[in-house]
Amino acid sequence: MTERQHFEISDLDSGISLGKDAWIRLRKNRLAVGGLVILVFFFVIALLTPWIAPYDYEIQDLDLGATGPSLKHWLGTDIFGRDLLTQIMYGGRISLSVGFLATIVALVIGVTWGSIAGYIGGRTDAVMMRLVDILYALPFMIFIILLMVVFGRNMLLLFLAIGAVEWLTMARIMRGQVQTLRQQEFVEAAVAMGLSRSMILIRHIVPNAVGPIIVYTTLTIPGVMLLEAFLSFLGLGIQPPKTSWGLLIAYGAETMEEYPWLLLFPGFFLATTLFSLNFLGDGLRDALDVRSAKD
Amino acid sequence: MLTLQKIPRSIFALLFILLASCSVQEGNVDSGNRLGILHYGNGSEPQGLDPHVVTGVPENHLVRALFEGLAVKNPYTLEPEPGVAERWEFSDDKRIVNFFINPRARWSNGDPVQASDYVWSWRRALHPEMGNPYSYMLFPVKNAEAFAKGQISDFGKVGVKALDERTLEVTLNEPTPYFIQLMDHYSTFAVHPPTIMKFGASTDRYTKWTREENIVGNGPFVLTEWKLNRRIVVEKSSTYWDRNKVSLNGVVFYPTENSVTEERMFRVGQLHYTASVPLDKIPIYREMENTPYVQAPYLGTYYYLLNINKKPLDDIRVRKALSLSIDRDKLASTVLQGTAVPAYSITPPNTLGYDPPKLFGYDPEKAKQLMTEAGFPNGKNWPGIEIIYNTSESHRKIAVAIQQMWASTLNIQVTLSNQEWKVYLDSVDQMDFDIARRGWIGDYVDPNNFLDLFISSGGNNSTGYADGIYDDLVLRKATKASSRELRYQIFHRAETMLMQAMPIIPIYTYTSKHLINPSVKGLPSNLMDSLNLKYVWLDNLKKEER
Repeated sequence: MTERQHFEISDLDSGISLGKDAWIRLRKNRLAVGGLVILVFFFVIALLTPWIAPYDYEIQDLDLGATGPSLKHWLGTDIFGRDLLTQIMYGGRISLSVGFLATIVALVIGVTWGSIAGYIGGRTDAVMMRLVDILYALPFMIFIILLMVVFGRNMLLLFLAIGAVEWLTMARIMRGQVQTLRQQEFVEAAVAMGLSRSMILIRHIVPNAVGPIIVYTTLTIPGVMLLEAFLSFLGLGIQPPKTSWGLLIAYGAETMEEYPWLLLFPGFFLATTLFSLNFLGDGLRDALDVRSAKD
Repeated sequence: MLTLQKIPRSIFALLFILLASCSVQEGNVDSGNRLGILHYGNGSEPQGLDPHVVTGVPENHLVRALFEGLAVKNPYTLEPEPGVAERWEFSDDKRIVNFFINPRARWSNGDPVQASDYVWSWRRALHPEMGNPYSYMLFPVKNAEAFAKGQISDFGKVGVKALDERTLEVTLNEPTPYFIQLMDHYSTFAVHPPTIMKFGASTDRYTKWTREENIVGNGPFVLTEWKLNRRIVVEKSSTYWDRNKVSLNGVVFYPTENSVTEERMFRVGQLHYTASVPLDKIPIYREMENTPYVQAPYLGTYYYLLNINKKPLDDIRVRKALSLSIDRDKLASTVLQGTAVPAYSITPPNTLGYDPPKLFGYDPEKAKQLMTEAGFPNGKNWPGIEIIYNTSESHRKIAVAIQQMWASTLNIQVTLSNQEWKVYLDSVDQMDFDIARRGWIGDYVDPNNFLDLFISSGGNNSTGYADGIYDDLVLRKATKASSRELRYQIFHRAETMLMQAMPIIPIYTYTSKHLINPSVKGLPSNLMDSLNLKYVWLDNLKKEER
């Protein structure tokens, strides 16, 4: 007993960083690790797609048409005779990049905005949050259509537009978190030690709010992916022959009785990604929650 | 184990309850059969209901339910038969027609339909300020074209006169064999002058007169409800002169823009009739016994408009290269599931005995060579162009296939853009496009109907094509021809000119494709897919018999 206790104390002495600590706890969560592995795998595939895709995503074989899975086309072909696996790989590139980039945009703006408003409070808070309310009230479709009309159709713009719409909820959540954290003793201690406001925000408040942020982020990514599919379907996002998972599913759903694989396979990949994200988010929340860290 | 066995049983029970409740609920078709109401998939939300403003097939069905022309088409033979006019007489030189208006013809507010209403309405239809895209339907009438173009401002000089309340005298430029057929086209319909004037000037577009509470028509049905993007309901008119022949009590028109949804609505008994059938579903329906699928030849051409005022489409070699590199046979047999005939010209084959010229075929080598000559060898320096099409599953498929045919043959980049129907119509009207998908459905069975699209002043030309010789052939030489053979020879020459200039890329000739519930009777297939609701009736079959 005493030996073991001793070991633990010396372990603490040598010091484990917050990140490493979280990593150790994350590793114990098998579902989260599984999710992470799948996501990393999808990312690697997406990165390597131009080199490893079995076919060219644009090449059609009209005579072949829609065929089910076979040795030549593992996941079958669509009505234009295009290889579905290739379509899914290229679609994944777009879906994953839209999902993550737009979410990062939303995350950066939302967290910054919300924590500043929440920490400073008073009139600044009121003005900043009313702005959020006003943006909330704008019908976002019109907002995005306007952006598309003014700047033309552009993938990067699509990311930004979606991100610029999605940050609002993030800002509200962050503000609420910061308002409760601000009252806590450790913040008062930091103030007493004479730390600057920005230092307090970055070092003390944001890390403590990481749990809700991560959870909401994992909810945002699937939302963004669906939003992209919706916009593309309306002709505002991705246009053929480029594709995304959302679009593949939308088209697949139209012919699900005749060619079910056109819906099932893209649906499977989207669902797997979303599940992985959720499990990973769950695990990360547990791992990163500093308040429960030393329980 | 016990619980495992119980679960499926409870699921079965649940399913059974669900199924049972489904069969209890009455669908539109059943209630429609009982009440005499036809549930009609109309393709899309109409642009409007003003006969002198609208274009398009969905609008045609609605306008012809609410209004009636001087003569109407018999749906079985397509021959004109009495409408508002009980009879008509041609003069010996065939240049003057007298229409005798049926004394029982009434507007839906009870006013009698008078010859003077037609004079007033045709002035409106032709007036330059009206901007009626179909004003040329009346161009066979003497001086009508000059009035429409603002060359004369005195409508009195136009060859239409009310001799008395019931006699309309029309003077034609030339003997026009198809003139009576034109009387069933909505741009020649009469509108009710006092109603129009109540809501604006005679030539105002989109005033409130077409609202359900305001509109006055003279057709077999009256408008009772218009819910935007949901449904349009019409009810049997109590003032229509031939009301005894109308057996439907009402029609509900649905803006079924998505043919997949439409097919589902049909399958669950929400629709009697669909405007289209999703291509992928056709093979399945074809194999069904007692199939509701009805396919028939159709007087229409599917084509792409090229904006010849814009680079690089101003170069005839580029236009030809694009057209030569489309493999229409393959498109028709694969993407279109064998439901269409490849087209190489604008007039459908065998239009009342006329066959169009075929000047080219699928020729990728020639296309590549033409592109090289035009300065785009293997797609080099290509500026990129865009195809616009109205949002629809089948237009998208065709565009995707053609996009790839061009990419693989010519190595050029083409982007696609789908637009909502009204936005799309606006873009086409204002020629705000590089390439636009277009379909033309014959308004009457005559090559003239396709060839006069591309006269330089044509409201549906939309390509920038303008050639004085072509105009002369179609507008003057053909109308003066003494026999049908001579007339067709002139048309053939004009069409050859048109296809040499290639302001359009013809793609295929339509077939009409519908799902029709077996209870719908009196709705025969015809070359014009012409719907005459007066003839339609619903046979209220028992479920067992179906």
